[in-house]
Amino acid sequence: MIQLAEDSNVGGPGAADQGNGHSDTMAGRTIHVRVLRQDGPGGESYWERHAVPYEPNMNVISVLQRIAERARAEDGRQVAPVAWDCSCLEEVCGSCTMLVNGRTRMACSALVDRLLEEHPGEIELRPMSKFPVVRDLKVDRGRLFRALERVEAWVPVDGSYDHGPGPRISPEEQEDAYPLSTCMSCGCCLEACPQYTKIEVVQREGESAEEFERRRTAAYDRGFVGAHAISQAVLFNGHPTGRMIADERLQALTSAGGIQVCGNAQNCVAVCPKHIPLTRSIARAGRAATVWAIKRLFDR
Amino acid sequence: MAQPRVLVIGGGLAGLAATMRLAELGVGVDLVSLVPVKRSHSVCAQGGINSVNALTRQQGDNEWKHFDDTVYGGDFLQHQPPVKEMADWGPRIIDLMDRLGVPFNRTPEGFRDQRRFGGTLYKRTAFAGATTGQQLLYALDEQVRRYEVEGRVKKWEFWDFLEPVLDASGRCRGAVCQDLVSMKFKAFPADAVILASGGCGLVYGRSTMSMVCTGSAVSRAYQAGAAYGNGEFIQVHPTAIPGADKLRLMSESARGEGGRVWVPRTPQDPRDPRSIPEAERYYFLEERYPKYGNLVPRDIATREIFDICTTDGLSVEKDRLCVYLDLSHLPREMLDRKLGGILEIYEKFQGVDPRVVPMKIFPAVHYSMGGLWVDYERSATGGMEEGSIRNQQTSIPGLYAIGECDYQYHGANRLGANSLLSCIFSGLFVAPSVAGLATASRAGEETPRLFEASLRRQEERHEALLGRRGGQENPYALHQELGNLMTRVATVVRRNEQLAAAYDEVCVMEDRWRRCSLSDTGNWTNQNVVFTKSLGDMFPVAKLILKGALLRDECRGAHYKPAFAMPGIAATDPAGKRREAEAWCDRFEANTRKWLKSTIARHGADGHPQISFEDVDTSLIPPRPRLYGLVGADVIEEVWKERSRGAADDAPAATGAGRAVAAHV
Amino acid sequence: MSPAEAETSFFSRHQFLISRLFSLSGLIPVGAFLVVHLVTNASVLAGPGTFQSRVDLIHSLGPLLVPIEWAFIFLPMLFHASVGFAIIAGGLPNVSSYPYVGNVRYTLQRATGMIAFAFIIWHVIQLHWMGAPLGGGKFDPHHASSSAALALQPVGVAILYAIGILSAVFHLANGLWTMGITWGLWTSPAAMQRANWISIIVGVLLGGAGLGALAGMRRVDVEQARAIEDRMDEMKRMLEGREPGDAPLVRPVATSAEGN
Repeated sequence: MIQLAEDSNVGGPGAADQGNGHSDTMAGRTIHVRVLRQDGPGGESYWERHAVPYEPNMNVISVLQRIAERARAEDGRQVAPVAWDCSCLEEVCGSCTMLVNGRTRMACSALVDRLLEEHPGEIELRPMSKFPVVRDLKVDRGRLFRALERVEAWVPVDGSYDHGPGPRISPEEQEDAYPLSTCMSCGCCLEACPQYTKIEVVQREGESAEEFERRRTAAYDRGFVGAHAISQAVLFNGHPTGRMIADERLQALTSAGGIQVCGNAQNCVAVCPKHIPLTRSIARAGRAATVWAIKRLFDR
Repeated sequence: MAQPRVLVIGGGLAGLAATMRLAELGVGVDLVSLVPVKRSHSVCAQGGINSVNALTRQQGDNEWKHFDDTVYGGDFLQHQPPVKEMADWGPRIIDLMDRLGVPFNRTPEGFRDQRRFGGTLYKRTAFAGATTGQQLLYALDEQVRRYEVEGRVKKWEFWDFLEPVLDASGRCRGAVCQDLVSMKFKAFPADAVILASGGCGLVYGRSTMSMVCTGSAVSRAYQAGAAYGNGEFIQVHPTAIPGADKLRLMSESARGEGGRVWVPRTPQDPRDPRSIPEAERYYFLEERYPKYGNLVPRDIATREIFDICTTDGLSVEKDRLCVYLDLSHLPREMLDRKLGGILEIYEKFQGVDPRVVPMKIFPAVHYSMGGLWVDYERSATGGMEEGSIRNQQTSIPGLYAIGECDYQYHGANRLGANSLLSCIFSGLFVAPSVAGLATASRAGEETPRLFEASLRRQEERHEALLGRRGGQENPYALHQELGNLMTRVATVVRRNEQLAAAYDEVCVMEDRWRRCSLSDTGNWTNQNVVFTKSLGDMFPVAKLILKGALLRDECRGAHYKPAFAMPGIAATDPAGKRREAEAWCDRFEANTRKWLKSTIARHGADGHPQISFEDVDTSLIPPRPRLYGLVGADVIEEVWKERSRGAADDAPAATGAGRAVAAHV
Repeated sequence: MSPAEAETSFFSRHQFLISRLFSLSGLIPVGAFLVVHLVTNASVLAGPGTFQSRVDLIHSLGPLLVPIEWAFIFLPMLFHASVGFAIIAGGLPNVSSYPYVGNVRYTLQRATGMIAFAFIIWHVIQLHWMGAPLGGGKFDPHHASSSAALALQPVGVAILYAIGILSAVFHLANGLWTMGITWGLWTSPAAMQRANWISIIVGVLLGGAGLGALAGMRRVDVEQARAIEDRMDEMKRMLEGREPGDAPLVRPVATSAEGN
């Protein structure tokens, strides 16, 4: 543990980390990390080993920070720092999703001590497999955000001018909606979903950025929307104003790549770092789609 | 450009609010962000958002009191018209966010529930679980996505703002940005550029801020000539969970919902905290501040916690500084419902259940009250004139700043749950100003050449960085050094000799930065070069913080220098008390005359900040002493009230003329 | 538009409807048929006579039997299977990375679907009259128990039957549960849990019936059964006024899938 410096101030050397049982036994030891790297889109991926001195209470982010600082592989070769996404480091921004020891999770809340318990000796880091790799552990999750557009995940307000408060909402409704609204678009549910498969569109020779984007969006739109988007559709279809375009959302959910692609493996809910009741959302969306489809059949 | 177009840098609450409003006003927006906007740092705000509401109104609250609490909490170091305008807008903003679908907690009857936050006696704070910032951000993100689908907004995510492009007259005509994936540069011509890039926590190494809060965008604007205000005012949040990579926030709402801060009366009592009897616990905030208890303003809570550990030696642990923040006496069901999110964070990162065991917490750098100097136009009613192109405009015409990266709203100390309000407010409020400007401004002939020159300059800088050979400095290690230094000398307690020495050290570090070598010299998603660049831009900010802190010989809000503290009253007899109180008030008045001024830094040609001081518009609420917990506060208050009554009879209003000077420091 | 694209877009356009029909067909008629089929066959446990009378009842449909078989059994099953294979092709099982119960069930659902489909093809060839040209078609509806018993006598065949039956039963029981989610019958985790118990009970009962039928068939004393069946056939003929040796109403080897 770090000793308290004489004139320490906040958060500096004086404010050391919360200790844990491992610190004594692990002190002076090295963590071995195996990273699946890829220099760019479409490139070959390769494994690289890194060694990082153990510190108490480390998470995968701090391991990657040490790797960036060392910029050397375990064999001493100088290598470029591993690229990865992160921002808040407290599991609310959804940036740092990756495969840690083979499972999708947030790197910030993946604590080294637990990982070593789970798999002694080594930590394995891989990029998400359902999204195109940009570089190393950084992937392009544009399709995930596109899905939010597909299901029109917003409240269709008239505008931002003052119209008084929003609709009255019971505490039960709020408690129902709030968990769904904590979805941070991390993509864990999609990564673990056996029905969600990778779509990687490569820009063609001579194709303009706009054309490429259009083609890519079209490809995304044929693919599965995913649990997160279904859950957002359910969230907004439950909101008194949001449900004014419920039919449009159900239309989206029942078109190609919609809710019917779900295979009920329920991995989404098992890996969701925010414990969002995704399968409840899927079932609710299923119910709404059933009713809507039957209604449409008879109202035609 | 036929269609008006605005460039917004940063997609947090402020940037998204501005984007939404601009799109609604028919202005095309390019929105540039280091990360997908949904991942902006605003998501980390936990506790809530303040405004007067139907309930507090019936308990005697009103907009003026919110305004008063904000300027009093901020130690009067903010121009009052914008703050008044913000407080006035509060209720409308909450209503708007409510309409946008933010799942605010509800009362049994279905109204928005409210909690109490620091620095006020009213339950003004609306909240959505313990992730209010996230919920507000998402609501705005959703609206912006809607406009994006309609083609009114174009997002540039994973892009870095490099510099504003100024024409010969010094007006901002757009900016040059870089794609962080392909590393390509692009010029963004715009009728106005709005910076909404947030705080600069990374200057302190580890803080409660996100990894994107490097302050580099602001620094680049500052280096391009924009003035920076009140840089030395950095809020240190009283309660954070220390961690190796980051100091994670434990929201003030933990205290708002009844959490109590204490230490064992026996130093480093080895017992399980749960088995320490009440009598042997020192609830030092409650004992020292009976009126506010655990909800004293942040600067005071921070100092007390810091003090109890360092001066009194009552830290819970010996090797590291921390105190207990105790929720274990509260019902589990209520905690889960109202604080679930933040308690989960603690549990997740510390492996201990805070519903059962008291949390261990310590202060951490949290918010920059200071930021780019921005202008405003005062309205007839003492607020801000809506639609004026001066509102939120930096000292560079056409370049605006909103949200945490402006210096406008929080003075010397920000009240809890006011930041979300100021971000959304400034974002919404700047839109009509900029929209008006957008239709009025037309780029001149020389503009394309300006962009070419700017692009070339940035490309050269980039290539030079990539091409550096043989440097021995490691940017990550250097960043840690900078962070440790800044944390040590420029947070809770500041001393001139330390600040002066640190300034020199930072200059040396900046020089060392020039010898940083890159471990990645490629041109694809090179995070190494991006980080090194932003590190280089931290030094000018660090220097202006240190210089401002060094020059400001007083205690105000978050800025605390023991050498200039005004002690309470020592005398015990009534006459002695009275005499000391008079002297105290004299000194306070003298200090106000000398130091109630914003620190304005400008980037000098020599790389050093040129500091000047700007008078503060206190025309609406005259400054008065903040007496939280001071010994003899009652006597001082009595004397002060007598004096202000006398002053009110003599002169109709306190000074308010400072503004004209302000714009030209 | 190339024919391939047209095909994709038709499938895409009606993906939701097709999926729901797929889901529905698994229960009605395919699943319902499986229940009737296994329960009927389990009646062999009450003796060859009982089973024979059940088979006779079905065959009393006479010439209608063939179209009914195709409309309510073979075609729906082929539809369910072909959509099922398309679904399987579109997924990417990952049970080794995510060994959660739900995921194991997802994977098993696909595996059992494929096993059941292969089994059913073999089963039809082996016992249904349509399989006769391929050397199968061993079931004789006039000698239901005895012909079935003879066909199921080899141990290898019995084991394959056990696997096939259990696969089909799991596929139905688990499918029942996922169907309830798909259609939105049970939405909350608690309701899903309750529905899960019901599925398990259905599965166990049905599995018991299936294995009981298999064991029952194999335990049949062929000589004795034949005697009973002959007697019953004679009585039928007498009732219908036919002479011994007349052509039966249904060809001797013809049968429905029922009673196989």
